Amino acid sequence: MTTAALTAGLDRIPDQLGYLVISEDGVLASAGELENDEHTASVMMQMVRTASRFRLSGSPEPPFKRMSVILEDFVYAVTVSGQKVFVVKRQHNQQEPVSV
Amino acid sequence: MGCCYSSENETSSQDPDEIKPLIPHPMPDKPSNGTDWITTDVPSARTDEQALLTSILTKTAQNIIDVSAADSVMMEQHEYMDKARQYSTKLAVLSTSLPQKKPLTLPSLTSQPHQVLASDLVPYSDVQQVSKIAAYAYSAISQIKVDAKEELVVQFAIP
Repeated sequence: MTTAALTAGLDRIPDQLGYLVISEDGVLASAGELENDEHTASVMMQMVRTASRFRLSGSPEPPFKRMSVILEDFVYAVTVSGQKVFVVKRQHNQQEPVSV
Repeated sequence: MGCCYSSENETSSQDPDEIKPLIPHPMPDKPSNGTDWITTDVPSARTDEQALLTSILTKTAQNIIDVSAADSVMMEQHEYMDKARQYSTKLAVLSTSLPQKKPLTLPSLTSQPHQVLASDLVPYSDVQQVSKIAAYAYSAISQIKVDAKEELVVQFAIP
């Protein structure tokens, strides 16, 4: 899979502020606010490694598809596919249910 | 013929072997009148000083780590080689029987990463609920403590 094919869909994600595609060997692609952000890449890699070690009883696979790191203004959405970690930084604007 | 405990036996009970010590004194020639305690003759001030110096010496000796003593276990070159070979053989045997640690490769969470990442974010109410549950769990765990009701170490009553 070429780098362009890896990132093609990431650009179209709504409220996307930047993204990272990481393999075991390092950052394969990056853009926006996460461009060349090696530090975030290594932290996200460690977090997803730790999270993927959790297992619900009787299930051999990790019980989740996506890890969300929720901060005040933005969210890191992380998933793993084909031995690559995909990180997308998205705007977080649903702080509280809007009271009418 | 006398009966038991009659005076006939009294003479035999005074056998000289009975009062002789089984182990003879190591230095029977040395008089035991205290002449070897020479220090008792010196003035008491000198004794105090001696005692003080001795106690300082003892304290110092307790605080000293003798590095030269640590090197006392000398090993020959070939002994080192033997040990190294022994350990590496042992390690090789053990490492084959150990479960492979390395295949902790990343699991595949999805086959469609773009779709998963583009889907709606987790609702705020869900996050709030999870945070609340985590806070409760943390609080509960932090309150776990050992309530000792009896001695942990007990003596067995050995007759």
